[in-house]
Amino acid sequence: MLLETVKLTKYFGGLAAVSDVDINVEEGEMVGIIGPNGAGKTTLFNLITGFLRPTKGRVEFGEKDIVGQKPHVIARMGIGRTFQLNPLFADFTVFQNVAASFYLHPKSSLLAAFFNLPTYHRNEAYVSVEALKILELLGLNKVKDELAKNLPQGYQKMLGIARALATNPKLLLLDEPLGGMSVGEIEFTMEIIKKIRDSGVTILLVEHNMQIMDIVDRVFVINFGRKIATGTIEELRENREVIAAYFGVEQDAASS
Amino acid sequence: MIYLATVVILAFLPIFVKSPYTYHILILTFVYITATSSLRTLAISGQVSMGHAAFMSIGAYTSAVLARYVGWSPWLTMPLGALATMLVAVLVGFPFSRVRTIYFSMVSLFFGIGILSINSIFGKYTGHINGMIGIPPLFIGSRIPYYFFFLALMVVCLIVLWRFETCRIGVCLKAIDQSREVAASIGISETKFRVLAMGVSCFVVGLVGAGYAHYNMVISYSSFNLSASINMLVYMLIGGIVSFAGPIIGTAVLFMIPEIFRQLKEYTPFLFAGILILVVFVMPQGVVGLFDQIRSLVNKKE
Repeated sequence: MLLETVKLTKYFGGLAAVSDVDINVEEGEMVGIIGPNGAGKTTLFNLITGFLRPTKGRVEFGEKDIVGQKPHVIARMGIGRTFQLNPLFADFTVFQNVAASFYLHPKSSLLAAFFNLPTYHRNEAYVSVEALKILELLGLNKVKDELAKNLPQGYQKMLGIARALATNPKLLLLDEPLGGMSVGEIEFTMEIIKKIRDSGVTILLVEHNMQIMDIVDRVFVINFGRKIATGTIEELRENREVIAAYFGVEQDAASS
Repeated sequence: MIYLATVVILAFLPIFVKSPYTYHILILTFVYITATSSLRTLAISGQVSMGHAAFMSIGAYTSAVLARYVGWSPWLTMPLGALATMLVAVLVGFPFSRVRTIYFSMVSLFFGIGILSINSIFGKYTGHINGMIGIPPLFIGSRIPYYFFFLALMVVCLIVLWRFETCRIGVCLKAIDQSREVAASIGISETKFRVLAMGVSCFVVGLVGAGYAHYNMVISYSSFNLSASINMLVYMLIGGIVSFAGPIIGTAVLFMIPEIFRQLKEYTPFLFAGILILVVFVMPQGVVGLFDQIRSLVNKKE
């Protein structure tokens, strides 16, 4: 098991944003988390990546409990993530955004960087080559010298994925990767996400757009901070609780 | 290129200029260019220090006290003063790096006031409000060696700060400024880089403060109080916060202005305030930005 949460719970004051959530992700899988607005999906991501500290429960990554670790330490362990809002460094160019993300696993020390030593040069050269590869893969090479803040939203989302990918993660958490994208962009992004999975990165994603569910292996459904169902998308289509959460309870069906 | 030309001109200046007063002003300009540039090292990660003059005073007083009362050579005590400043900066850097923007400005402001109070506790050595006198000089006699010393010190410090800002460390600091969350998600430790920036910035300002003490041979609180800190801030803002040249040009310009209007000395703060307001409205990018604006105008015409 690559990632496992055990009875993960987070209270904000008296409100349980996430309560007793058990999810697990196998290596190489692509797993989706769905649920209505405010169900606690982003909170769950923040708990896993250390941006929030759980009230109780465990998060195990590669059989190791990572609760209480700082976000940058968790990032170094190999969990990359994107953000729903504000997903990038606004005043950096697209290229700089991706290049900066390579600093997670630098091949030279900060001292070498300061003194401009050969190891630093080699690392910088390596970074530019690799960054361009990622930009090409995600179709961002045309805009690589634009400031990130000037990009349309779909491109910004894509850049968020590029940044996370540049950290070379074992597990990639995507927070609404299709949010704010046009129909054409959605198809392209789904292709990209499949490619990333096929390259051996495990993916856990949150999404409203049900199109994405066609390409995930398994789904967890969350509502009011609780896990209400799990399974493949076909299994969930039959699940009444899920239907109720998404479409409301049918009065006739409920009374009959 | 422009930097190199300026340094060469300044290096050959003593052939032409003989007035000791001019040297005095130039030396002070060098001191404050260095100090203001060190402020920028924090500013690139979004932290605006309002107590930098107090850090300068740590270097100055440490070096002055060691040289005068212990009797060590100023050449030894100056680096020690810088190291002491850095040590204090790193120690306070851990809690300080947890606060950002205006809150950082406030804690650095109170830190500055606190440091001056500590100075007054040791008033027996630091000379209370009258200032500390009898600090051993670096050179005897002429101002020319001082001129070269501070020119060299400024050049070395600026090169160090420039490297710091343009290499990976600076990129990480700028990344933290733009988004702490995204920076953390790519493994940048906010605390580590902020403390590092504090250390380097304060080492430089402590070193130049120590040099200043041995040049002036008298130091008092008034050189390091809140208005001294704010002056440095104003130099940086007027020069332009967006580029490395900003603090350098801002300090140079604002050091020359009071000298030109020397008869109106007591009105200098008003003059500064007026310039600051003008800058904010007319050239939001500072004097450096003005150059860019002119350049784009010229390009448009062509």
